[in-house]
Amino acid sequence: MNAIIQRELIDVFRTRKSFAMQMLLAVLFAGMVILRWPSEAQVDLSGLNAQQVFRVFGYGMLAVLILMSPAFPATSVVREKNKGTLALLFNSPIPPWRIYLGKLIGVSGFLLLLLIMSLPAATACLMMGGISLWNEMVPLYGVLGLLTIQYAILGLWVSSQSTSADGALRTTYLLILGLAILSLLPYLLFQGKDSLVTDLSWWLRSFSPIPAVMEILGHGFVGSQGIDIEPGAPGRFFIASGVLTLGLAIHSLTRFNHKLFDKARDSGAVVNEMGVGTQIVRRLYFLVDPQRRSTGILPFVNPVLIKEFRCRKFGRSHWLLRFICLCAITSLILAYIATAGTLDWGTNVIGGIMILLQAGLIVLFTPSLAAGLICGEIESQGWQLLQMTPLSARKIVVGKLLSVIWTMMLVLCATLPGYLVMGWILPEKRPQIYQVLICLIWAALFSVLVSAAISSLYKKTAAATATAYAVLSSVCIGTLFFWLFRGAPFGEQFVEAVLCINPIAAAMQVIGTPGFVNYDLLSTNGWIMGIGCSLSLAILVVQTYRLTRPN
Amino acid sequence: MSQVVVETFSLTKRYGDFTALDDLSISINKGQILGFIGPNGAGKTTTIKILVGLAKPTAGSAMIDGIDCFKKSREVKRLVGYMPDTFGSYDNMRVREYLDFFGAAFGIPWRKRGKRISEVLDVTNASYMKDLFVESLSHGMKQRIGIARTLLHDPQVLILDEPANGLDPQARIEMRELLLNLADMGKTLIVTSHILPELSRICDQVAIITKGKLRAYGSLEEIMRDVSQKRTIEIQMTCLEDGKKAEAELSNHHELVSEISLSEAESIVRFKTDVSDKKLAVILAHLIDIRLGVVQFKELQTDLEDAFLSVTREAVPATKSEPAGTAE
Repeated sequence: MNAIIQRELIDVFRTRKSFAMQMLLAVLFAGMVILRWPSEAQVDLSGLNAQQVFRVFGYGMLAVLILMSPAFPATSVVREKNKGTLALLFNSPIPPWRIYLGKLIGVSGFLLLLLIMSLPAATACLMMGGISLWNEMVPLYGVLGLLTIQYAILGLWVSSQSTSADGALRTTYLLILGLAILSLLPYLLFQGKDSLVTDLSWWLRSFSPIPAVMEILGHGFVGSQGIDIEPGAPGRFFIASGVLTLGLAIHSLTRFNHKLFDKARDSGAVVNEMGVGTQIVRRLYFLVDPQRRSTGILPFVNPVLIKEFRCRKFGRSHWLLRFICLCAITSLILAYIATAGTLDWGTNVIGGIMILLQAGLIVLFTPSLAAGLICGEIESQGWQLLQMTPLSARKIVVGKLLSVIWTMMLVLCATLPGYLVMGWILPEKRPQIYQVLICLIWAALFSVLVSAAISSLYKKTAAATATAYAVLSSVCIGTLFFWLFRGAPFGEQFVEAVLCINPIAAAMQVIGTPGFVNYDLLSTNGWIMGIGCSLSLAILVVQTYRLTRPN
Repeated sequence: MSQVVVETFSLTKRYGDFTALDDLSISINKGQILGFIGPNGAGKTTTIKILVGLAKPTAGSAMIDGIDCFKKSREVKRLVGYMPDTFGSYDNMRVREYLDFFGAAFGIPWRKRGKRISEVLDVTNASYMKDLFVESLSHGMKQRIGIARTLLHDPQVLILDEPANGLDPQARIEMRELLLNLADMGKTLIVTSHILPELSRICDQVAIITKGKLRAYGSLEEIMRDVSQKRTIEIQMTCLEDGKKAEAELSNHHELVSEISLSEAESIVRFKTDVSDKKLAVILAHLIDIRLGVVQFKELQTDLEDAFLSVTREAVPATKSEPAGTAE
């Protein structure tokens, strides 16, 4: 056990990156407290300053955990499995449960340390008054502590079932996003009704740490639409997450043995050699069967583009078709909500939700598609082979970028019907809708180019994917964190300056989402996006050219 | 006169203070197989990388079919098929799709590509793998597909880095036959390997390189001649007693023989000598004359492994002096 913890945890502490991360957080927390520390010899009896800082802590730590936690556990098992070192560990006298426990302590230890680092600043808030130790501080750290362990166990569970490190990272991010954010949506739609669906969605909501943290920090009423929400979200979160975490840990442990390695090679079955009946059934199910013999790459088509589509599962036609269907259904539901007026939401609220959905899709899909474009090729040793072909750097870059851009265009189409309906019903909104679409195109382009540029700077896909997720989440979602605390402790001007880099915020300002209408973000954001895209493209082109050169 | 296809002229590569390749000059004719051997870190891969345009030489030049490998690397890529020691696979791709991509990358027309893929799979006995996923192939299968990939654009020169690495005996025999067939087809091959007995069976020429310097270069016979100045003779005696007597008798002729040893378990006496066959016959006659029971009297054949060990052993203290057996 000691050897595993030594390697997984102590060695991480010794890296410069972890030291820099710890220092950054320490400075940030200290800065927050200093900002609101009483400058005069007067006591703030209401404790408003302390509450403001404490809320920032709470939401900040929650955001850090959601964004950072997949990076460590998701790659922990699969990377070792692929390197062959996991087989060596299993061949040692260490029992599997101790290997698992060692890994769990290793991956969650670093995140727990970051959490502990915020304690001195939180204690300072306590000293400022207005914060209750037992009603606020202890429950908040309890929720965040449980969340750290839950995400670490979830990441290890995904990692033990995956075949590639970047795939594991992608799935973990998807599941965490689903647990933290998407689990809130059903209750948002069905609240106030007395039905089984409402009850189920009520419990589904309990898997998300957001309602628990919001209730602890005194924001439990947000999103309730005037309906009284029964208190006790932290307790329900403890029950729901505790059960889920325990289940995942037990399932992981049952798989932490020969099952990790005992897999047969793919037989390479092709549908062309199956019976006619099977072929028909599969054709109906897939439309484009993934197991059919594909035709050769057609003339005048960039071979790198086709290669990129073929070598990732999601790029296969049947997946794209499924995705288009999902997009169509999503936008139809949104259009129905907007037109039928089932909920008392205006077009600006519906528009805001559609933009946020779009942002979620962009942030979720782009790094998984683009962050491995160059480094994935280097990692799989394919780059050397690519260098041996007469393909130019330009053709390689264009092929690789197009493979992501085509998919992202589909993602952009997800909410297009919704906007079309909106524009048809309210013609006066059309100019705003055009501007929103331009913002979303900027967001998608920026995401693709930034992720691809990051890909060209790294050697490992998993590291590039984690970095791309962190960068895009910070720009598209992280900046909204400052907006949540507009007025206090962050001034409106500061919030506007921060939101300028966020194309999603600019889109929400254009559509008139409540809380964004007072800002002027569009033109500045356009410039920032343009510069960001140009810079990322320049990095990508230069790096790719450099990599295609000898030495 | 045979046509020179691959040539290097005083090829040198330095990384800072470290000299990876020092003044390498070799030439290979069309249809020949060059065995390029050396210990790990000797400079083999550096040479190969320069030949395929993946590294820039610090000094000297390399030509393939008269084209400079660095200055016109794009043209050279069409002439060379390179199989690195790592496979370079893509996820979720079947063998046919994998080869189709490289065929398209090399600009093979769409209509001809399918036929070409079938041909190279036939040549490498890998047709049955066409629908398998690349990442699920065994090491030996990947080696075959690697060669099929290098053959796709019908290159004149094939550079294969460790093609027999990790293959089972059957696959190794098949690989040997495949390489000989390719040479018969007029391809020029540069093959690196650590499995020297395999290499000695297929190579027309051998280059031994250590610490970036060419230590021996030429045909296998030439190298043997260079490295083994003294022959090893083995005498099988009827019993140990006769073996001891033979050892004592040979010691009396120390001007003719050296390094005499007796294997007591086998009753075999071994010695080294540089005398002619006539004088060896005299030694044998003498042993028989004194009524020693000689069962067998034979010369031990020096193989590529012995030559390699001899050259690399000499190279260790010879770092500052002239290398032994340098051909050019």
